[in-house]
Amino acid sequence: MLEINNLHVSIQDREILSGVNLQVRAGEVHAIMGPNGSGKSTLAAVLAGRDIFTVTKGTVVYKGVDLLALPPEERARLGLFLGFQYPVEIPGLTSVNFMKAAVNEQRKYKNLPPLSSGEFLKLMRQKMAVVEMDPSFVGRGVNVGFSGGEKKRNEIFQMAMLEPTLAFLDETDSGLDVDALRVVANGVNKLKTKDNAFVVITHYQRLLDYIVPDIVHVLNKGRIIKSGSKELALEVENKGYDHIINAT
Amino acid sequence: MKEYRYMPEVKRVFQCTVPGENIRQVFLVDGVLQESPGTQNGITLSTGPEGRGLKMHITGDHSENPLQIISVRSENLPEPLEFTNTWELAPGAKAQIVVCDHTLKEHLYQTSRYSHITLREGAHLDLLFMQNEHGRSRYWLDLDARLYKDARLDSHILSLYGGTIENKVKAHLQEPGAVCNLDGLYLADGEQEIKYNIEVRHNSKECQSSQLFKGILDNSAKAWFEGLIYVAPGAQSTEAFQANHNLLLTRDAKITTMPQLEIYADDVKCSHGATIGRLDEMGLFYIRSRGVPLEQAHLLQQMAFVHDVLEHVRNHAIRVRLEKMVESRLRGEFSKCAHCTMHCC
Repeated sequence: MLEINNLHVSIQDREILSGVNLQVRAGEVHAIMGPNGSGKSTLAAVLAGRDIFTVTKGTVVYKGVDLLALPPEERARLGLFLGFQYPVEIPGLTSVNFMKAAVNEQRKYKNLPPLSSGEFLKLMRQKMAVVEMDPSFVGRGVNVGFSGGEKKRNEIFQMAMLEPTLAFLDETDSGLDVDALRVVANGVNKLKTKDNAFVVITHYQRLLDYIVPDIVHVLNKGRIIKSGSKELALEVENKGYDHIINAT
Repeated sequence: MKEYRYMPEVKRVFQCTVPGENIRQVFLVDGVLQESPGTQNGITLSTGPEGRGLKMHITGDHSENPLQIISVRSENLPEPLEFTNTWELAPGAKAQIVVCDHTLKEHLYQTSRYSHITLREGAHLDLLFMQNEHGRSRYWLDLDARLYKDARLDSHILSLYGGTIENKVKAHLQEPGAVCNLDGLYLADGEQEIKYNIEVRHNSKECQSSQLFKGILDNSAKAWFEGLIYVAPGAQSTEAFQANHNLLLTRDAKITTMPQLEIYADDVKCSHGATIGRLDEMGLFYIRSRGVPLEQAHLLQQMAFVHDVLEHVRNHAIRVRLEKMVESRLRGEFSKCAHCTMHCC
């Protein structure tokens, strides 16, 4: 589904990713861990199409398409989703109108007619239930006045609305209390099928108790230095990154 | 929905679809009232000096029955035109007035409107100006409002389209309890120019005022906002707020904003704020990352920016229609509408 080969990425001449290789297949859950500044968020942002980064070397092929050649909206329409570490507040734009625009663009791409207001509201209600979200949120400005936990819940809600085939969740667990973490993780688990894949970027093993990964990667200084089974996350938790960095 | 027909005697008949069964329409062509003076349901209409302009006296509660005043410039009078409207709300009267200004031909029309509004004790007026002409017209509004005890004015000015639009608004809060809310939205592109000069004068104690003016400027458009809050000596317990926010879409668009406070009393709550900004890059990326194309993301962000000004329009049907008009204006559809200068569809 996704194949990243020798990806090098810079921002203002400073190299952040120095040769990332990663393969994600349908039905898999990957976890990417790594110390602060190792390039985890950059990897997710580059894949989603954030244009402040420059790709200096390497290729990314997603569903057989050169992903890096596409603008962000086309990547999204191909089923790529990024759950933001810091979801953006948009005062004046309600979640309803935002999601209506997003869902109908996606339907247009699939040659489907736009949803009627009734159908759309029904879909919203269904998906809000997935993340146990208070219905009053959708009439408010996107992320405006939301707590940290509510913002992350809103990311999962948007993901549920768009049903992506490949989702990158960038530190969706940071700032969450135990209950919110469970809700967010359950949301992901409910959306998981054999045809889609998730890449979870996290600092903590805690999330991986709820979302069980097939493969765990450790990213350091812009490279994946170790990949392994879910036990690797426990090793990180118990011994720290230094231990793994020194051992490689 | 009932459809309203514009003047059958005006050659280019078109339909105004401002919705609502309860709307009463009053027409002015080149400043001349198109119906016989008289009184109907507590509303007395007559003409101003030299047969032009609209004099209006309102009694009773008309808050659920908007009055639409449609003022059209025709090809019969290409010269610059000037007329004066004098409107008075009797004590306790309530009214909702929508003023629509149009031009029938793409002539270099120049229109100056003076409007004197008096709100007697406890009178409420909800006033909406739709300024919607064409790229070569010159529009000039001079509004002077006096508010007496516990009177309330909610004014919304929407400058949607016009070559040059100038709005001068002066509100005098004369007696305690008067409340004045002034909102404005200005959208300009090409070489269009829009000027706002707002003055709120707190001449009495215990009055409240607020101002919210927002603008989006594209291409080489220019706008000026001058806003003064004046608090007279002895006008204690005044609350007065002013905000002016601007979005510039290009490097050539220009806004000059001059918020001013003049305060001669010491027990007051006053604030003013002005911002000038661009579209938010991170916000655009966020919207695009959900599959919305760049152009649509621009539009969503601009609609989000103007949202609170439109939200203040209380009449739901009119607000929904305004949202649609603003959206099509921001899509650039007005300038494409070459065969028609109404921009009402």
